Amino acid sequence: MTDLTTVTARRRTTAGGPPRVAQQRRGLPHLGAVAALTPFALFLAVFLLWPMAAVVWHAITPNGVLGTSGLVRAVSGPYRSAFVNSFVLSGASAVIGGVIGLVLALVVRDLRRPAWIAPATDAFSSVASQLGGVPLAFAFIATIGTQGLLTKALSAVGIDVRSVFSLSSLAGITLVYLYFQIPMMYLVVAPAVGGLRRSWREASELLGAGPVRYWLTIAGPILAPSVLGGMVLLFINAFSAYATAYVLSSSTSLVPLQIRFVLQGNVITGEQDLGYALVTWTVVLMGVGLVVMQLLQRRAARWTAA
Amino acid sequence: MTGRLGRSGRWVFLVLLGLYFLVPQLAMARFAFQNVPVVLLGPDTFFSKWSFDALGQALAEPALWQATGVSAVLAVLTVALTLVLLVPPTIYVEVRAPRLRPWLSAATLVPWVIPPIALVVGVAATFRAVAPGFLASTASLVPFYAVWALPFTYRALDAGLRAINARTLVEAATSLGSSTAGAVVRVLLPNLTASLVAAGGLTTALVLGEFAFASLLLKQTLPTYLVDFQRSQARAGMALALAVMVLTALALAAVVRLLRRRGLGTTTLGL
Repeated sequence: MTDLTTVTARRRTTAGGPPRVAQQRRGLPHLGAVAALTPFALFLAVFLLWPMAAVVWHAITPNGVLGTSGLVRAVSGPYRSAFVNSFVLSGASAVIGGVIGLVLALVVRDLRRPAWIAPATDAFSSVASQLGGVPLAFAFIATIGTQGLLTKALSAVGIDVRSVFSLSSLAGITLVYLYFQIPMMYLVVAPAVGGLRRSWREASELLGAGPVRYWLTIAGPILAPSVLGGMVLLFINAFSAYATAYVLSSSTSLVPLQIRFVLQGNVITGEQDLGYALVTWTVVLMGVGLVVMQLLQRRAARWTAA
Repeated sequence: MTGRLGRSGRWVFLVLLGLYFLVPQLAMARFAFQNVPVVLLGPDTFFSKWSFDALGQALAEPALWQATGVSAVLAVLTVALTLVLLVPPTIYVEVRAPRLRPWLSAATLVPWVIPPIALVVGVAATFRAVAPGFLASTASLVPFYAVWALPFTYRALDAGLRAINARTLVEAATSLGSSTAGAVVRVLLPNLTASLVAAGGLTTALVLGEFAFASLLLKQTLPTYLVDFQRSQARAGMALALAVMVLTALALAAVVRLLRRRGLGTTTLGL
C-alpha cells in the first residue's frame, strides 16, 4: 500500500497534465473509506459511546450539579466493601489462575513425548476459556455445594468441607472462576513459552549459569510481560463476570451484583446516581487495565514466536 | 530440559488439573441422570437408577423451546449484524489503509472493557427516555450483543486476512482486470470462510450464554430460563445445564478444529 500511494503521489506531482484522472483515482478510495467505516463508527457511537457517555455524565453531575459526591459515595461506606471484595476475587483468581496457567504451559512444553498433548491442551483451553456463566455455576454446585457429591464423598471419610468452605464465599467463587481463568492464561502465555529457545538455555549453561540464574536473568524477563499482561487480562475477565457470581451467591457484595441491586431495587434519584458512579468506576478501572495490558503486550511481542 | 519437577511430577500436575476440569462435569451428570433423591446420592447408590428421564422432562417444557428459539434468533441476527458492520472496515483497512489498523483494533477492543452489567445501566439511562418502545422488544438485545461480539469477530477476521495476504491478492486480481469490489467478493470472501464461520461460532456461543443483559432487561432467553427452571426443578435443571454446556463445548471445539485446519492458531480466538 505504501508503494502504491507514493507512486500515485509522484505521478500527481510530475504529470500535472490531466489532474482530473488523478483526482478521481484519489477520490475513489475516500468514498470507499466512508462507505466502509461510517456504519461501523455510527453503530459504536449509538450503542456503546452514547450510553457510556451518559453514564459518566450522570456520575459527575449528581442531582444535576457538577460534583464528585456521587463518585465518592460509590467507594465509601457499604459500597467500599463491594470494591474490596471484587478486587480480592479478581486479584486472587488472576494470580492463582495465572500461576497455574503458566505452569501448565511450561509442563506441556517440556512433555514432548505424547505428540498429542500440546494440540489437545490448546484445543481444550480454547473451549474451556469460553465456558462459564450459568451452567458452570450449576456444575460446581453439584460438585462441592452443600449437597454436592464431592462434599458428601469427603464427609463420608470424615472431612467436613461445609464448615470451612462455601461456594458463595470469595474463596468459593474464586475456585469456580479458575475453571475459565486457567485455560485463558494458558492461551495467553503458551506462545511466549514456546518462544523460549532451547539454544538460549544451552548458551547460558555453557557460560556457567545454573537454572536459577537462567530463570532470573533470561527466561524470567522474557516471560514477564506476557505473564503480567495475562494476569491483567484475567483480572478484567473476573471483575466483569456476572452470571456465575449471580447464581452462586446473589447476596455477596461484589461490584457487578451491587450495580444490579441499585439498578433494580431503587428508582429514587439519589440511588440512580449511585449506580452511575459504580459503573463509571468499573469502566475506568477496566480501561486502565486494558491500557496496561496493551503496553505489556507490545513488550511481549518482541520475543513471541508468532 | 530436566527441571526439578521431573517427568512424573509433571504428569501428576496434569492429572490433578485434569480432575479439576473433569469432576464438576461428572458430578453434574450424576446429579442429573440418577433418579435418586439428592440426599441419598452417596457411594452406595452409585449404580442405581441411572436414567435420562430428567433430560426428557426438561426437554418436554414448551417454555424451554420458546426460550431456545429466542436465543437462536438473537444469535443469527447478531452474527449477521456483526459481520455486516465489521467485514467492510476490516477489509478496507487491511487492503487500503493499514495505517488505520491500530485504530480499528483499539476501537474493537473497547467493548471488551465495558461489562454487560455496565452497559445495561447506560442503555437504561438513554434509550429508555428517548425510545421507550425499543427496549420493550426482544430484538433490542441484538445491537448490544453485536457490540460484545466485536472483539472476537475482528480478531478472527484480521487473522484470516493476514493469513491469506489479502493486499497481495487484491493487487493481483486488480492487475488482472478485476474491479476492487469484484476482487473482494470473488477472491477475498471465499478465502475467508473459515474466519467467518469461526467468528459466527464464537458469537453464537456468546449469545447463547449471555445472562446479565437479558436478565436485567427482563427478556426470557436460554440462560435466564435455565436459572428460573433450575430453581423450580433442580434435577431437570441440572440435566438441561449439562446438555447446554456439552453442546456449547462441542460447537466451540468444531470452531477450533476448523481454524486449525486453515493454519490459524487457536490463540486467535482469545483476546
